[in-house]
Amino acid sequence: MAIIETHQLAKIFPGDIRAVDGIDFEVNSGEIFAFLGPNGAGKTTTIKMLNTLILPTSGTAMVAGLDVVKNAAEVRKRIGYTAQDVGVDEHATGKENLTLYGHFYRLDGKIIKERVKEIFDLVGLTGSENRMVSTYSGGMRKRLDLAMGLIHQPEVIFLDEPTTGLDPQTRASIWEYIRELVKSKGMTIFLTTHYMEEADRLANRIAIIDLGKIIAMGTADELKKSIGGDVVTVTPCEDKDEACKEFIRRSEAVLTGKPFVTGTKPTDGELAVYVNDGASAIPNIMQLLSGQGIEVKTITMSRPSLDDVFLKYTGRTIRTEEGSRTTFAKLVRMRDRRQR
Amino acid sequence: MNLLKDTWYITLRDLRARIRMPVFIFMTLFQPILWLVLFTQIFKSLGGMLGPGGSSYLQFFAPGVLVMTVLFGSAFSGFGMLWDIDTGVLSKMLATPVTRISVIAGRVIATVVVLLIQALIIIILALIMGVHFKTGAPGVLFTFFLLSLLGLGFAAFSNGLALLLKRQETVMAVTNLLTMPLMFLSSLMMPAALLPGWLNTVRQINPIDYAVVGARDLISNGYIWHDLWLSLIVLAALAVVGVAFGTLMFRTRAE
Repeated sequence: MAIIETHQLAKIFPGDIRAVDGIDFEVNSGEIFAFLGPNGAGKTTTIKMLNTLILPTSGTAMVAGLDVVKNAAEVRKRIGYTAQDVGVDEHATGKENLTLYGHFYRLDGKIIKERVKEIFDLVGLTGSENRMVSTYSGGMRKRLDLAMGLIHQPEVIFLDEPTTGLDPQTRASIWEYIRELVKSKGMTIFLTTHYMEEADRLANRIAIIDLGKIIAMGTADELKKSIGGDVVTVTPCEDKDEACKEFIRRSEAVLTGKPFVTGTKPTDGELAVYVNDGASAIPNIMQLLSGQGIEVKTITMSRPSLDDVFLKYTGRTIRTEEGSRTTFAKLVRMRDRRQR
Repeated sequence: MNLLKDTWYITLRDLRARIRMPVFIFMTLFQPILWLVLFTQIFKSLGGMLGPGGSSYLQFFAPGVLVMTVLFGSAFSGFGMLWDIDTGVLSKMLATPVTRISVIAGRVIATVVVLLIQALIIIILALIMGVHFKTGAPGVLFTFFLLSLLGLGFAAFSNGLALLLKRQETVMAVTNLLTMPLMFLSSLMMPAALLPGWLNTVRQINPIDYAVVGARDLISNGYIWHDLWLSLIVLAALAVVGVAFGTLMFRTRAE
Protein backbone atom coordinates (compact mmCIF):
# COMPACT_ATOMS: atom_id res chain seq x y z
CA MET A 1 0.00 0.00 0.00
CA ALA A 2 1.33 3.41 -0.94
CA ILE A 3 1.65 5.74 2.02
CA ILE A 4 3.27 8.54 0.00
CA GLU A 5 2.17 9.19 -3.54
CA THR A 6 3.07 12.12 -5.79
CA HIS A 7 1.83 13.07 -9.19
CA GLN A 8 3.79 15.57 -11.31
CA LEU A 9 4.85 17.32 -8.11
CA ALA A 10 6.76 20.52 -8.87
CA LYS A 11 8.19 23.55 -7.07
CA ILE A 12 9.34 26.51 -9.11
CA PHE A 13 10.98 29.35 -7.19
CA PRO A 14 10.98 32.94 -8.47
CA GLY A 15 13.38 33.33 -11.37
CA ASP A 16 12.12 30.11 -12.96
CA ILE A 17 14.30 27.98 -10.69
CA ARG A 18 12.82 24.52 -11.12
CA ALA A 19 13.89 23.01 -7.81
CA VAL A 20 11.53 20.06 -8.28
CA ASP A 21 10.43 19.54 -11.84
CA GLY A 22 7.43 17.23 -11.99
CA ILE A 23 8.16 14.03 -10.11
CA ASP A 24 6.07 10.87 -9.68
CA PHE A 25 6.81 8.23 -7.09
CA GLU A 26 5.21 6.00 -4.51
CA VAL A 27 6.50 4.91 -1.13
CA ASN A 28 5.04 1.76 0.35
CA SER A 29 4.00 1.44 3.95
CA GLY A 30 6.79 0.11 6.15
CA GLU A 31 9.66 0.67 3.76
CA ILE A 32 12.76 2.83 3.88
CA PHE A 33 12.77 4.95 0.77
CA ALA A 34 15.76 7.11 -0.10
CA PHE A 35 16.13 10.11 -2.36
CA LEU A 36 19.73 10.03 -3.51
CA GLY A 37 21.27 12.96 -5.31
CA PRO A 38 23.85 15.73 -5.12
CA ASN A 39 23.24 18.99 -3.28
CA GLY A 40 20.75 21.20 -5.06
CA ALA A 41 19.04 18.24 -6.73
CA GLY A 42 15.67 19.08 -5.15
CA LYS A 43 15.70 16.64 -2.24
CA THR A 44 15.00 19.12 0.55
CA THR A 45 12.40 20.95 -1.50
CA THR A 46 10.57 17.66 -2.05
CA ILE A 47 10.60 16.88 1.68
CA LYS A 48 9.33 20.35 2.52
CA MET A 49 6.41 19.93 0.16
CA LEU A 50 5.57 16.53 1.62
CA ASN A 51 5.73 17.77 5.22
CA THR A 52 3.60 20.88 4.44
CA LEU A 53 6.34 23.46 5.07
CA ILE A 54 6.13 24.80 1.53
CA LEU A 55 3.36 24.71 -1.06
CA PRO A 56 3.87 22.92 -4.37
CA THR A 57 3.71 25.09 -7.49
CA SER A 58 1.85 22.32 -9.29
CA GLY A 59 1.05 18.64 -9.06
CA THR A 60 -0.26 16.71 -6.09
CA ALA A 61 1.13 14.77 -3.17
CA MET A 62 -0.69 12.46 -0.77
CA VAL A 63 0.79 11.46 2.58
CA ALA A 64 -1.00 8.82 4.68
CA GLY A 65 -3.94 9.12 2.31
CA LEU A 66 -4.25 12.90 2.76
CA ASP A 67 -3.54 15.72 0.34
CA VAL A 68 -0.61 17.81 1.65
CA VAL A 69 -2.20 21.08 0.54
CA LYS A 70 -5.88 20.55 1.31
CA ASN A 71 -5.36 18.55 4.50
CA ALA A 72 -2.08 20.05 5.72
CA ALA A 73 -3.19 20.14 9.38
CA GLU A 74 -4.13 16.46 9.35
CA VAL A 75 -0.93 15.47 7.55
CA ARG A 76 1.16 17.19 10.26
CA LYS A 77 -0.38 14.94 12.94
CA ARG A 78 0.72 11.82 11.09
CA ILE A 79 4.31 12.69 10.23
CA GLY A 80 7.60 13.27 11.98
CA TYR A 81 10.28 15.53 10.52
CA THR A 82 13.98 15.79 11.09
CA ALA A 83 15.57 18.56 9.09
CA GLN A 84 19.12 18.87 7.93
CA ASP A 85 19.73 21.56 10.54
CA VAL A 86 19.35 20.11 13.99
CA GLY A 87 16.23 21.97 15.13
CA VAL A 88 16.60 21.40 18.85
CA ASP A 89 16.40 24.13 21.47
CA GLU A 90 19.83 24.57 23.06
CA HIS A 91 18.50 26.50 26.01
CA ALA A 92 16.35 23.64 27.25
CA THR A 93 16.99 20.12 28.48
CA GLY A 94 16.48 17.10 26.27
CA LYS A 95 13.37 16.19 28.18
CA GLU A 96 11.91 19.68 27.87
CA ASN A 97 12.48 19.63 24.12
CA LEU A 98 10.71 16.32 23.80
CA THR A 99 7.87 17.24 26.17
CA LEU A 100 7.18 20.44 24.22
CA TYR A 101 6.72 18.38 21.08
CA GLY A 102 4.45 16.00 22.96
CA HIS A 103 2.22 18.99 23.71
CA PHE A 104 2.37 20.16 20.10
CA TYR A 105 1.13 16.73 19.04
CA ARG A 106 -1.76 17.04 21.53
CA LEU A 107 -0.68 14.10 23.64
CA ASP A 108 -1.94 13.63 27.16
CA GLY A 109 0.52 14.59 29.92
CA LYS A 110 0.70 11.03 31.23
CA ILE A 111 1.32 9.56 27.79
CA ILE A 112 4.04 12.15 27.17
CA LYS A 113 5.85 11.03 30.32
CA GLU A 114 5.75 7.38 29.27
CA ARG A 115 6.81 8.07 25.71
CA VAL A 116 9.64 10.39 26.72
CA LYS A 117 11.14 7.58 28.78
CA GLU A 118 10.61 5.01 26.04
CA ILE A 119 12.03 7.22 23.27
CA PHE A 120 15.10 8.31 25.21
CA ASP A 121 15.78 4.63 25.65
CA LEU A 122 15.23 3.92 21.96
CA VAL A 123 17.68 6.60 20.79
CA GLY A 124 20.18 5.79 23.52
CA LEU A 125 19.96 9.05 25.45
CA THR A 126 18.74 7.63 28.76
CA GLY A 127 20.64 9.38 31.54
CA SER A 128 20.97 12.65 29.62
CA GLU A 129 17.30 13.69 29.76
CA ASN A 130 17.82 16.48 32.24
CA ARG A 131 21.01 17.90 30.81
CA MET A 132 20.90 21.11 28.81
CA VAL A 133 21.08 20.45 25.10
CA SER A 134 23.94 22.97 24.86
CA THR A 135 26.10 20.33 26.59
CA TYR A 136 25.14 17.59 24.08
CA SER A 137 27.57 16.40 21.40
CA GLY A 138 26.62 16.66 17.72
CA GLY A 139 25.57 13.03 17.61
CA MET A 140 23.43 13.36 20.74
CA ARG A 141 21.68 16.41 19.31
CA LYS A 142 20.91 14.53 16.13
CA ARG A 143 19.47 11.66 18.14
CA LEU A 144 17.33 14.05 20.18
CA ASP A 145 16.28 15.68 16.93
CA LEU A 146 15.18 12.26 15.66
CA ALA A 147 13.40 11.53 18.94
CA MET A 148 11.35 14.73 18.72
CA GLY A 149 9.78 13.48 15.50
CA LEU A 150 8.84 10.16 17.09
CA ILE A 151 6.89 11.07 20.20
CA HIS A 152 3.48 10.86 18.53
CA GLN A 153 4.35 7.54 16.84
CA PRO A 154 3.89 8.94 13.34
CA GLU A 155 3.06 6.81 10.32
CA VAL A 156 5.74 8.44 8.21
CA ILE A 157 9.06 9.98 9.20
CA PHE A 158 10.89 12.41 6.94
CA LEU A 159 14.63 12.55 7.46
CA ASP A 160 16.49 15.21 5.51
CA GLU A 161 20.15 14.18 5.26
CA PRO A 162 20.06 12.44 8.65
CA THR A 163 23.80 11.82 8.90
CA THR A 164 25.39 14.74 7.06
CA GLY A 165 28.27 16.11 9.07
CA LEU A 166 28.41 13.21 11.50
CA ASP A 167 31.40 10.97 12.05
CA PRO A 168 31.25 7.40 10.67
CA GLN A 169 30.57 5.85 14.08
CA THR A 170 27.65 8.13 14.86
CA ARG A 171 26.39 7.61 11.34
CA ALA A 172 26.34 3.85 11.85
CA SER A 173 24.46 4.22 15.12
CA ILE A 174 21.86 6.52 13.51
CA TRP A 175 21.36 3.87 10.81
CA GLU A 176 20.80 1.34 13.56
CA TYR A 177 18.09 3.52 15.14
CA ILE A 178 16.38 4.00 11.81
CA ARG A 179 16.31 0.27 11.10
CA GLU A 180 15.04 -0.36 14.61
CA LEU A 181 12.16 2.10 14.11
CA VAL A 182 10.98 0.36 11.00
CA LYS A 183 11.30 -3.04 12.58
CA SER A 184 9.73 -2.38 15.97
CA LYS A 185 7.24 0.37 15.14
CA GLY A 186 6.41 -0.39 11.53
CA MET A 187 7.05 3.21 10.58
CA THR A 188 7.72 4.30 7.03
CA ILE A 189 10.89 6.28 6.45
CA PHE A 190 11.46 8.75 3.66
CA LEU A 191 15.02 10.00 3.71
CA THR A 192 17.26 12.08 1.52
CA THR A 193 20.99 11.68 1.26
CA HIS A 194 23.95 12.42 -0.92
CA TYR A 195 25.87 9.50 0.54
CA MET A 196 25.67 6.52 -1.79
CA GLU A 197 26.60 4.18 0.99
CA GLU A 198 23.71 5.42 3.10
CA ALA A 199 21.15 4.79 0.37
CA ASP A 200 22.78 1.50 -0.54
CA ARG A 201 22.87 0.05 2.98
CA LEU A 202 19.77 1.54 4.52
CA ALA A 203 17.07 1.89 1.89
CA ASN A 204 14.71 -0.72 0.50
CA ARG A 205 14.20 1.39 -2.57
CA ILE A 206 16.05 4.37 -3.98
CA ALA A 207 15.09 7.19 -6.31
CA ILE A 208 18.02 8.98 -7.87
CA ILE A 209 17.23 12.64 -8.31
CA ASP A 210 19.15 15.27 -10.24
CA LEU A 211 18.18 18.81 -11.25
CA GLY A 212 14.65 18.32 -9.93
CA LYS A 213 13.89 15.16 -11.83
CA ILE A 214 13.90 11.49 -10.86
CA ILE A 215 16.31 9.82 -13.25
CA ALA A 216 16.16 6.25 -11.95
CA MET A 217 14.24 4.34 -9.30
CA GLY A 218 14.38 0.85 -7.83
CA THR A 219 16.18 -1.29 -5.29
CA ALA A 220 19.94 -0.81 -5.05
CA ASP A 221 20.42 -4.12 -6.87
CA GLU A 222 18.01 -3.25 -9.64
CA LEU A 223 19.72 0.07 -10.20
CA LYS A 224 23.17 -1.51 -10.33
CA LYS A 225 22.01 -4.26 -12.67
CA SER A 226 20.53 -1.64 -14.98
CA ILE A 227 24.04 -0.60 -16.00
CA GLY A 228 25.36 -4.07 -16.80
CA GLY A 229 27.84 -6.46 -15.16
CA ASP A 230 31.08 -4.68 -14.28
CA VAL A 231 32.65 -1.27 -14.47
CA VAL A 232 36.16 -1.01 -15.86
CA THR A 233 37.80 2.31 -15.13
CA VAL A 234 40.58 3.30 -17.48
CA THR A 235 43.06 6.07 -16.73
CA PRO A 236 44.99 6.89 -19.90
CA CYS A 237 46.96 9.84 -18.53
CA GLU A 238 48.54 11.27 -15.40
CA ASP A 239 47.79 14.99 -15.66
CA LYS A 240 44.24 16.21 -16.02
CA ASP A 241 44.98 18.55 -18.92
CA GLU A 242 43.70 19.10 -22.45
CA ALA A 243 45.87 16.30 -23.82
CA CYS A 244 44.29 13.98 -21.29
CA LYS A 245 40.79 14.94 -22.39
CA GLU A 246 41.82 14.11 -25.94
CA PHE A 247 43.11 10.69 -24.86
CA ILE A 248 39.83 9.99 -23.06
CA ARG A 249 37.81 11.14 -26.05
CA ARG A 250 39.83 8.88 -28.36
CA SER A 251 39.60 5.94 -25.95
CA GLU A 252 35.85 6.35 -25.83
CA ALA A 253 35.66 6.45 -29.63
CA VAL A 254 37.67 3.23 -29.87
CA LEU A 255 35.58 1.31 -27.36
CA THR A 256 32.08 2.54 -28.21
CA GLY A 257 30.09 0.03 -30.18
CA LYS A 258 32.35 -2.94 -29.40
CA PRO A 259 30.18 -6.01 -28.70
CA PHE A 260 31.46 -6.54 -25.12
CA VAL A 261 30.93 -2.88 -24.13
CA THR A 262 27.47 -1.87 -22.92
CA GLY A 263 28.30 1.79 -22.38
CA THR A 264 30.96 4.39 -21.61
CA LYS A 265 31.12 7.57 -19.55
CA PRO A 266 34.08 9.95 -19.48
CA THR A 267 34.83 11.87 -16.28
CA ASP A 268 37.65 14.02 -15.07
CA GLY A 269 40.80 12.10 -16.03
CA GLU A 270 39.05 8.74 -16.28
CA LEU A 271 36.84 6.72 -18.57
CA ALA A 272 34.21 4.37 -17.13
CA VAL A 273 33.51 1.40 -19.39
CA TYR A 274 30.44 -0.71 -18.65
CA VAL A 275 30.91 -4.33 -19.63
CA ASN A 276 29.15 -7.65 -19.04
CA ASP A 277 32.23 -9.47 -17.81
CA GLY A 278 35.16 -7.43 -16.53
CA ALA A 279 37.75 -10.21 -16.39
CA SER A 280 37.53 -10.96 -20.08
CA ALA A 281 37.04 -7.36 -21.10
CA ILE A 282 40.25 -5.96 -19.59
CA PRO A 283 42.69 -7.66 -22.01
CA ASN A 284 40.45 -6.62 -24.91
CA ILE A 285 40.37 -3.02 -23.76
CA MET A 286 44.15 -2.93 -23.25
CA GLN A 287 44.73 -4.36 -26.70
CA LEU A 288 42.30 -2.03 -28.46
CA LEU A 289 43.74 1.05 -26.78
CA SER A 290 47.40 0.20 -27.29
CA GLY A 291 46.55 -0.52 -30.92
CA GLN A 292 45.59 3.16 -31.14
CA GLY A 293 48.76 4.26 -29.37
CA ILE A 294 46.96 5.09 -26.14
CA GLU A 295 49.01 4.16 -23.13
CA VAL A 296 46.88 2.99 -20.21
CA LYS A 297 48.32 4.15 -16.88
CA THR A 298 45.94 2.27 -14.63
CA ILE A 299 42.95 0.05 -15.21
CA THR A 300 40.62 -1.15 -12.46
CA MET A 301 37.52 -3.28 -12.33
CA SER A 302 34.66 -2.98 -9.86
CA ARG A 303 31.10 -4.03 -9.29
CA PRO A 304 28.87 -1.10 -10.17
CA SER A 305 28.08 1.24 -7.31
CA LEU A 306 25.22 3.68 -7.06
CA ASP A 307 27.75 6.30 -8.05
CA ASP A 308 28.21 4.48 -11.36
CA VAL A 309 24.44 4.49 -11.73
CA PHE A 310 24.39 8.22 -11.12
CA LEU A 311 27.29 8.69 -13.50
CA LYS A 312 25.61 6.71 -16.22
CA TYR A 313 22.39 8.73 -16.06
CA THR A 314 23.89 12.19 -15.52
CA GLY A 315 27.47 12.06 -16.78
CA ARG A 316 28.67 13.31 -13.40
CA THR A 317 29.62 11.58 -10.19
CA ILE A 318 27.99 12.31 -6.86
CA ARG A 319 31.43 12.05 -5.30
CA THR A 320 32.78 15.09 -7.10
CA GLU A 321 29.77 17.04 -5.88
CA GLU A 322 31.01 16.68 -2.34
CA GLY A 323 33.93 18.53 -0.82
CA SER A 324 34.27 22.17 -1.72
CA ARG A 325 31.00 22.29 -3.58
CA THR A 326 29.13 21.02 -0.56
CA THR A 327 30.35 24.05 1.33
CA PHE A 328 29.32 26.34 -1.47
CA ALA A 329 25.90 24.72 -1.80
CA LYS A 330 25.42 25.12 1.92
CA LEU A 331 26.25 28.81 1.73
CA VAL A 332 23.79 29.27 -1.11
CA ARG A 333 21.15 27.42 0.86
CA MET A 334 21.71 29.56 3.94
CA ARG A 335 21.49 32.70 1.86
CA ASP A 336 18.32 31.52 0.11
CA ARG A 337 16.70 30.61 3.38
CA ARG A 338 17.36 34.03 4.78
CA GLN A 339 16.21 35.91 1.73
CA ARG A 340 13.01 33.96 1.25
CA MET B 1 -8.18 25.96 23.23
CA ASN B 2 -5.15 24.59 21.42
CA LEU B 3 -4.25 28.18 20.58
CA LEU B 4 -4.09 29.10 24.26
CA LYS B 5 -2.23 25.93 25.26
CA ASP B 6 0.37 26.25 22.53
CA THR B 7 0.87 29.94 23.27
CA TRP B 8 1.35 29.08 26.94
CA TYR B 9 3.95 26.38 26.19
CA ILE B 10 5.90 28.64 23.86
CA THR B 11 5.77 31.58 26.27
CA LEU B 12 7.05 29.25 28.97
CA ARG B 13 9.83 27.93 26.75
CA ASP B 14 10.99 31.46 26.01
CA LEU B 15 10.87 32.60 29.65
CA ARG B 16 12.65 29.47 30.85
CA ALA B 17 15.45 29.99 28.33
CA ARG B 18 15.92 33.60 29.51
CA ILE B 19 15.89 32.73 33.20
CA ARG B 20 18.73 30.25 32.59
CA MET B 21 21.03 32.92 31.20
CA PRO B 22 22.77 34.60 34.15
CA VAL B 23 23.91 37.44 31.90
CA PHE B 24 20.32 38.01 30.91
CA ILE B 25 19.10 38.23 34.51
CA PHE B 26 21.95 40.55 35.38
CA MET B 27 21.23 42.83 32.44
CA THR B 28 17.50 42.79 33.11
CA LEU B 29 18.10 44.04 36.64
CA PHE B 30 21.11 46.20 36.00
CA GLN B 31 20.05 48.08 32.89
CA PRO B 32 17.09 49.96 34.42
CA ILE B 33 19.17 50.78 37.50
CA LEU B 34 21.96 52.10 35.31
CA TRP B 35 19.67 54.27 33.25
CA LEU B 36 17.78 55.64 36.17
CA VAL B 37 20.88 56.52 38.17
CA LEU B 38 23.14 57.56 35.29
CA PHE B 39 20.72 59.77 33.41
CA THR B 40 19.41 61.53 36.47
CA GLN B 41 23.01 62.35 37.41
CA ILE B 42 23.89 63.60 33.91
CA PHE B 43 20.86 65.85 33.63
CA LYS B 44 20.67 66.79 37.30
CA SER B 45 21.13 70.50 36.70
CA LEU B 46 18.17 70.49 34.31
CA GLY B 47 15.91 70.11 37.35
CA GLY B 48 15.86 73.85 37.89
CA MET B 49 14.72 74.49 34.31
CA LEU B 50 11.66 72.32 34.58
CA GLY B 51 9.53 75.30 35.40
CA PRO B 52 7.48 76.24 38.39
CA GLY B 53 6.88 73.57 40.96
CA GLY B 54 10.61 72.93 41.05
CA SER B 55 10.26 69.20 40.49
CA SER B 56 13.50 67.24 40.18
CA TYR B 57 14.86 65.72 36.97
CA LEU B 58 14.44 62.32 38.57
CA GLN B 59 10.72 62.91 38.99
CA PHE B 60 10.60 64.07 35.37
CA PHE B 61 12.74 61.29 33.94
CA ALA B 62 11.45 58.20 35.82
CA PRO B 63 8.47 57.71 33.45
CA GLY B 64 10.90 58.17 30.55
CA VAL B 65 13.09 55.31 31.82
CA LEU B 66 10.03 53.08 31.90
CA VAL B 67 9.17 53.87 28.27
CA MET B 68 12.80 53.61 27.17
CA THR B 69 13.19 50.18 28.77
CA VAL B 70 10.03 48.88 27.11
CA LEU B 71 10.93 50.41 23.74
CA PHE B 72 14.41 48.87 23.57
CA GLY B 73 13.40 45.56 25.12
CA SER B 74 10.55 45.01 22.69
CA ALA B 75 12.27 46.37 19.60
CA PHE B 76 14.95 43.68 19.94
CA SER B 77 12.48 40.85 20.59
CA GLY B 78 12.83 39.62 16.99
CA PHE B 79 16.39 38.41 17.56
CA GLY B 80 15.06 35.35 19.34
CA MET B 81 12.97 34.60 16.26
CA LEU B 82 16.06 35.04 14.05
CA TRP B 83 17.91 32.52 16.19
CA ASP B 84 15.04 30.04 15.77
CA ILE B 85 15.07 30.58 12.01
CA ASP B 86 18.84 30.13 11.74
CA THR B 87 19.00 27.02 13.91
CA GLY B 88 16.07 25.30 12.19
CA VAL B 89 13.96 25.32 15.36
CA LEU B 90 11.20 27.30 13.67
CA SER B 91 10.76 25.07 10.62
CA LYS B 92 10.86 21.96 12.77
CA MET B 93 8.07 23.39 14.93
CA LEU B 94 5.99 24.34 11.91
CA ALA B 95 6.05 20.75 10.67
CA THR B 96 4.05 19.80 13.80
CA PRO B 97 0.33 20.52 14.30
CA VAL B 98 1.21 23.47 16.60
CA THR B 99 -1.22 26.38 16.22
CA ARG B 100 0.71 28.55 13.78
CA ILE B 101 0.14 31.89 15.40
CA SER B 102 1.15 30.67 18.88
CA VAL B 103 4.74 30.48 17.70
CA ILE B 104 4.96 34.26 17.33
CA ALA B 105 2.39 35.08 20.04
CA GLY B 106 4.32 33.11 22.69
CA ARG B 107 7.51 35.04 21.96
CA VAL B 108 5.78 38.40 22.04
CA ILE B 109 4.01 37.63 25.32
CA ALA B 110 7.24 36.42 26.93
CA THR B 111 8.91 39.68 25.89
CA VAL B 112 6.12 41.76 27.43
CA VAL B 113 6.20 39.74 30.67
CA VAL B 114 9.94 40.34 31.07
CA LEU B 115 9.52 44.04 30.32
CA LEU B 116 6.81 44.40 32.95
CA ILE B 117 9.11 42.79 35.49
CA GLN B 118 11.78 45.32 34.55
CA ALA B 119 9.21 48.11 34.85
CA LEU B 120 8.33 46.93 38.32
CA ILE B 121 12.00 47.02 39.32
CA ILE B 122 12.30 50.57 38.01
CA ILE B 123 9.21 51.67 39.93
CA ILE B 124 10.47 50.17 43.18
CA LEU B 125 13.86 51.79 42.66
CA ALA B 126 12.24 55.11 41.81
CA LEU B 127 10.19 54.92 45.00
CA ILE B 128 13.35 54.34 46.99
CA MET B 129 15.07 57.26 45.26
CA GLY B 130 12.19 59.52 46.23
CA VAL B 131 9.90 59.71 43.22
CA HIS B 132 6.38 60.63 44.22
CA PHE B 133 3.67 58.56 42.50
CA LYS B 134 0.80 60.97 42.30
CA THR B 135 -1.93 58.51 41.30
CA GLY B 136 -0.68 55.71 43.56
CA ALA B 137 -1.10 51.99 42.87
CA PRO B 138 -4.06 52.32 40.44
CA GLY B 139 -2.00 54.76 38.40
CA VAL B 140 0.94 52.34 38.35
CA LEU B 141 -1.38 49.62 37.03
CA PHE B 142 -2.66 52.03 34.39
CA THR B 143 0.96 52.81 33.46
CA PHE B 144 1.66 49.08 33.17
CA PHE B 145 -1.27 48.76 30.81
CA LEU B 146 0.07 51.54 28.57
CA LEU B 147 3.54 49.97 28.64
CA SER B 148 2.07 46.55 27.73
CA LEU B 149 0.42 48.03 24.64
CA LEU B 150 3.70 49.69 23.67
CA GLY B 151 5.67 46.48 24.25
CA LEU B 152 3.13 44.35 22.42
CA GLY B 153 3.21 46.60 19.36
CA PHE B 154 6.99 46.83 19.10
CA ALA B 155 7.69 43.18 19.99
CA ALA B 156 5.25 41.93 17.34
CA PHE B 157 6.68 44.42 14.86
CA SER B 158 10.23 43.31 15.64
CA ASN B 159 9.35 39.63 15.17
CA GLY B 160 7.68 40.54 11.88
CA LEU B 161 10.82 42.41 10.86
CA ALA B 162 12.95 39.36 11.69
CA LEU B 163 10.73 37.18 9.49
CA LEU B 164 10.79 39.74 6.70
CA LEU B 165 14.55 40.38 6.61
CA LYS B 166 15.90 37.12 8.07
CA ARG B 167 19.39 38.54 8.59
CA GLN B 168 20.91 39.67 11.88
CA GLU B 169 22.78 42.58 10.31
CA THR B 170 19.81 44.10 8.52
CA VAL B 171 17.41 43.61 11.42
CA MET B 172 19.96 45.27 13.70
CA ALA B 173 20.43 48.21 11.34
CA VAL B 174 16.71 48.81 10.86
CA THR B 175 16.01 48.46 14.58
CA ASN B 176 18.67 51.01 15.49
CA LEU B 177 17.51 53.36 12.79
CA LEU B 178 13.97 53.24 14.20
CA THR B 179 14.50 53.22 17.96
CA MET B 180 17.05 56.01 18.33
CA PRO B 181 15.03 58.75 16.56
CA LEU B 182 11.84 57.50 18.21
CA MET B 183 13.44 58.05 21.59
CA PHE B 184 14.99 61.44 20.88
CA LEU B 185 12.11 62.89 18.85
CA SER B 186 9.93 62.92 21.94
CA SER B 187 9.72 64.55 25.33
CA LEU B 188 11.30 61.46 26.90
CA MET B 189 14.51 63.21 27.99
CA MET B 190 13.67 66.85 27.57
CA PRO B 191 10.51 68.67 28.62
CA ALA B 192 8.33 69.65 25.68
CA ALA B 193 8.65 73.31 26.64
CA LEU B 194 12.42 73.16 26.11
CA LEU B 195 12.23 71.41 22.73
CA PRO B 196 12.66 73.43 19.53
CA GLY B 197 9.40 74.17 17.70
CA TRP B 198 9.87 71.70 14.83
CA LEU B 199 10.62 68.90 17.25
CA ASN B 200 7.51 69.71 19.20
CA THR B 201 5.55 69.24 15.97
CA VAL B 202 7.32 66.01 15.03
CA ARG B 203 6.80 64.43 18.44
CA GLN B 204 3.05 64.61 17.91
CA ILE B 205 3.27 61.84 15.31
CA ASN B 206 5.64 59.76 17.45
CA PRO B 207 3.84 56.98 19.37
CA ILE B 208 6.67 56.95 21.95
CA ASP B 209 5.74 60.47 22.96
CA TYR B 210 2.19 59.36 23.73
CA ALA B 211 3.55 56.64 26.00
CA VAL B 212 5.85 59.17 27.70
CA VAL B 213 3.08 61.75 28.18
CA GLY B 214 0.69 59.10 29.51
CA ALA B 215 3.18 57.63 31.96
CA ARG B 216 4.36 61.06 33.09
CA ASP B 217 0.82 62.25 33.73
CA LEU B 218 0.03 59.19 35.80
CA ILE B 219 3.22 59.37 37.82
CA SER B 220 3.78 63.10 38.26
CA ASN B 221 0.72 65.09 37.20
CA GLY B 222 -2.39 63.05 37.95
CA TYR B 223 -5.32 61.87 35.81
CA ILE B 224 -5.29 64.29 32.90
CA TRP B 225 -7.90 62.46 30.88
CA HIS B 226 -7.44 64.42 27.69
CA ASP B 227 -3.83 63.16 27.49
CA LEU B 228 -4.59 59.68 28.79
CA TRP B 229 -7.34 58.95 26.28
CA LEU B 230 -5.06 60.02 23.47
CA SER B 231 -2.25 57.80 24.83
CA LEU B 232 -4.61 54.85 25.12
CA ILE B 233 -5.93 55.26 21.59
CA VAL B 234 -2.52 55.81 19.97
CA LEU B 235 -0.84 52.93 21.84
CA ALA B 236 -3.75 50.57 21.20
CA ALA B 237 -3.53 51.46 17.51
CA LEU B 238 0.23 50.85 17.63
CA ALA B 239 -0.36 47.43 19.21
CA VAL B 240 -2.94 46.53 16.55
CA VAL B 241 -0.66 47.63 13.71
CA GLY B 242 2.37 45.83 15.20
CA VAL B 243 0.46 42.60 15.78
CA ALA B 244 -1.11 42.79 12.32
CA PHE B 245 2.32 43.27 10.73
CA GLY B 246 3.87 40.46 12.78
CA THR B 247 0.99 38.12 11.96
CA LEU B 248 1.10 38.94 8.27
CA MET B 249 4.85 38.37 8.10
CA PHE B 250 4.49 35.11 10.00
CA ARG B 251 1.79 33.89 7.64
CA THR B 252 3.69 34.81 4.51
CA ARG B 253 7.34 34.51 5.45
CA ALA B 254 7.59 31.64 7.95
CA GLU B 255 8.37 28.40 6.24
